[in-house]
Amino acid sequence: MALLQIAEPGQSPMPHQLKRAIGIDLGTTNSLVATLRGGRPVALPDEAGSVMLPSVVNYSSGSARVGETAVALAAQCPADTLMSIKRFMGRGSEDAASDAARSHYQLAAGSEGLVRFSTSAGDLSPIEVSADILRELRERAVATVGGEIDGAVITVPAYFDEAQRQATKDAATLAGLKVLRLLNEPTAAAVAYGLDSAEEGVIAIYDLGGGTFDISILRLYEGVFEVLATGGDTALGGDDLDGAIAEWVLQQSDAPELAAGQYRQLLAASRRAKEQLSEVDRIALDLTEVLPSGGSITVSRETLETLIQPMIKRTLRACRQCLRDADIEGGVDNVVMVGGSTRVPLVREAVGDFFGRSPLTDIDPDQVVAMGAAIQADILIGNRPEGDLLLLDVIPLSLGLETMGSMVEKIVPRNTTIPVSRAQEFTTYKDGQTALALHIVQGEREMVSDCRSLAHFELRGIPPMVAGAARILVTFQVDADGLLNVEAREETTGAQASITVKPSFGLSDDQITEMLQASFKFADEDMQSRQLAEQRLSAWQLLEGLKSALEADGDALLSSAERDELSDQMTLLQALIESDDADAIRQKTDALGRRSEAFATRRMDRSIREALAGVSLDALDEEAEQ
Amino acid sequence: MSEAEFQRNYFDLFDLPIDFTVDQQQLGARYRQAQGELHPDRYAGASAHEQRLAVQYSALVNQAYATLRTPLSRAIYLLELRGISQQELTSQPVDGGFLMMQMELREKLETSMDLVDPEPVLEHLIAEISQDIAAEQARFGGSWSAGDLPRASSACVKMQYLDKLLREAEQTEANLLEN
Repeated sequence: MALLQIAEPGQSPMPHQLKRAIGIDLGTTNSLVATLRGGRPVALPDEAGSVMLPSVVNYSSGSARVGETAVALAAQCPADTLMSIKRFMGRGSEDAASDAARSHYQLAAGSEGLVRFSTSAGDLSPIEVSADILRELRERAVATVGGEIDGAVITVPAYFDEAQRQATKDAATLAGLKVLRLLNEPTAAAVAYGLDSAEEGVIAIYDLGGGTFDISILRLYEGVFEVLATGGDTALGGDDLDGAIAEWVLQQSDAPELAAGQYRQLLAASRRAKEQLSEVDRIALDLTEVLPSGGSITVSRETLETLIQPMIKRTLRACRQCLRDADIEGGVDNVVMVGGSTRVPLVREAVGDFFGRSPLTDIDPDQVVAMGAAIQADILIGNRPEGDLLLLDVIPLSLGLETMGSMVEKIVPRNTTIPVSRAQEFTTYKDGQTALALHIVQGEREMVSDCRSLAHFELRGIPPMVAGAARILVTFQVDADGLLNVEAREETTGAQASITVKPSFGLSDDQITEMLQASFKFADEDMQSRQLAEQRLSAWQLLEGLKSALEADGDALLSSAERDELSDQMTLLQALIESDDADAIRQKTDALGRRSEAFATRRMDRSIREALAGVSLDALDEEAEQ
Repeated sequence: MSEAEFQRNYFDLFDLPIDFTVDQQQLGARYRQAQGELHPDRYAGASAHEQRLAVQYSALVNQAYATLRTPLSRAIYLLELRGISQQELTSQPVDGGFLMMQMELREKLETSMDLVDPEPVLEHLIAEISQDIAAEQARFGGSWSAGDLPRASSACVKMQYLDKLLREAEQTEANLLEN
């Protein structure tokens, strides 16, 4: 019998165990959660044994019902049953209005740009609805792995812009998840395959999801996954195909205007028809619930193929652009299919023809993204030995600034590897100008009006000078989640302003805090004990990190005075860690963090040098021969 | 942030000689090694301070790699190391003969779309521009090694013109293939 482990008094046993990390694929149509078991990723099923959670939430009872229960209520209460909500993430109400009308949702009025749906549970933003889906998955994971989740990786379409990414992160926070990383869906799929085959080479990931299409080209080489280029279409997916079938049926049957519930029925029937036509040549689509005249209509695979053809064309156009951007010599070695719609035989055929490789489908295309996310979560939470797979991702869309004449000056071009920091100098337009309005945009077009507006901020306190004399350095920094931070500084005076881009259609930090507090899942007490636990954990991480760093490099990199000072500070924090004062722990942790920064910098400097010294000549010779 | 690290130039960062010719394999291997050590993912469990440092270092390594990887950005960077800024480069006079050639190439590009079969013309044009680029790169490399900065600068400016033209031609070809 294995002996049970008991921690030493006063020490937290937590860091010695494997931490509970999950990967979540928050999809347009279905969502999944996966974790690692015995080193292999597995998607977690619900009580009924189903791993796919329909991304559908019903609010007719005043609270959220997620998944199949909500699907069953969709026809009965269309305005209270929200589906394909991912399409609305991070979008303004103006640009979402036509989509909302098509889905028969009621948009709440007067919420300044923010999309809100009127439901029986009140006006809800897409972020809150997504949080309900994530919460359901979190609870499923907690029940299966037997404890609170330490961290999660959430996937997003590679082509998601800043606003959509931020909205997703906000939804996860709202659902009580600690987000380790937002991971691009195709990259996640590549990780799942990469772990599986460990085969080096260039991989194309063709991801046709419910609502979005993504194409990414990656290279796996020496344990590093490098995304070479990414592209796609955020408004093209399997849902559009269902819609196209539904429209075709309506045309064929000369139907009158359908009520919302009937249209939902028709869409569901169309989806089933699409799925079945992957297996059989023709099916009868039952219209009893849809049309007053009832009856049925025959849909052949040929009809489906005619309807899907224009969409496939659009996806291949994006593939061609992506291949050009990746700038690879020779073709791709493997093509991986992701997303339920890639089950359609014609899609596989067309993609296979385009890349000249028959697509890989070994891993279930519905589960592969969640599985890859689970692997990355496991790496990031620290459950794996160092030196494991490293991901180098890119930004999908260019980031820039508005300049005179409503033109866009690109600061960080698309497909730049992240994290990235780019600076550019600008100047004033008028004599005596003392402030600068900075408008941050995202997109590939030349004019501001054709790009996505991300944020506005102002740099004030520029001393009056003649036009063109001020030197304003604007720095864009994008972190590993693809989230942007912009800083502006007037160089001669040091006047400074910065902004973490919270897109105009996202939620402010205050709003999130408010929602978190209002959420019945997090009573005030829960919040406090959670904060305390988090503060203790970060204090503990800093202390443990420093202890081992001191043991390893303390003598080599620090003077004895510096070392003593650090040790004193560490003792103080150690004494505080068991207290209940979250604020005091945080302050002390920050203080120690700042004091140890110089030491950390020296260690990183040295690890760069060692890393490079570690590249042996033999290894380089071998590489040159390849 | 350690002063020393950020003052090191990109060649030093990857332990490569300061030169226009760069061994791409060596550069790639050292880039992956450095990211393997410094990427924020390697510090996911570390303190917030260390994480922030990792983001900055990793961004620096990415920037250095992107700069050294392509000939044009490498050339611009080499000149910058010698105190010739991007602004000085753009304000350099370009010889009239070169500009005439540019205008001719550009006109060929613009009129190619009116042709019945523009593809072979475009392909020929792209090959021509690529040859010119290779020639200017060779001229830059030679002048740089010989320490002739004015001549290197002039080659670099021409590389910029040609690079822009090449990208436009490739875009035109791409659009053509789509339709």
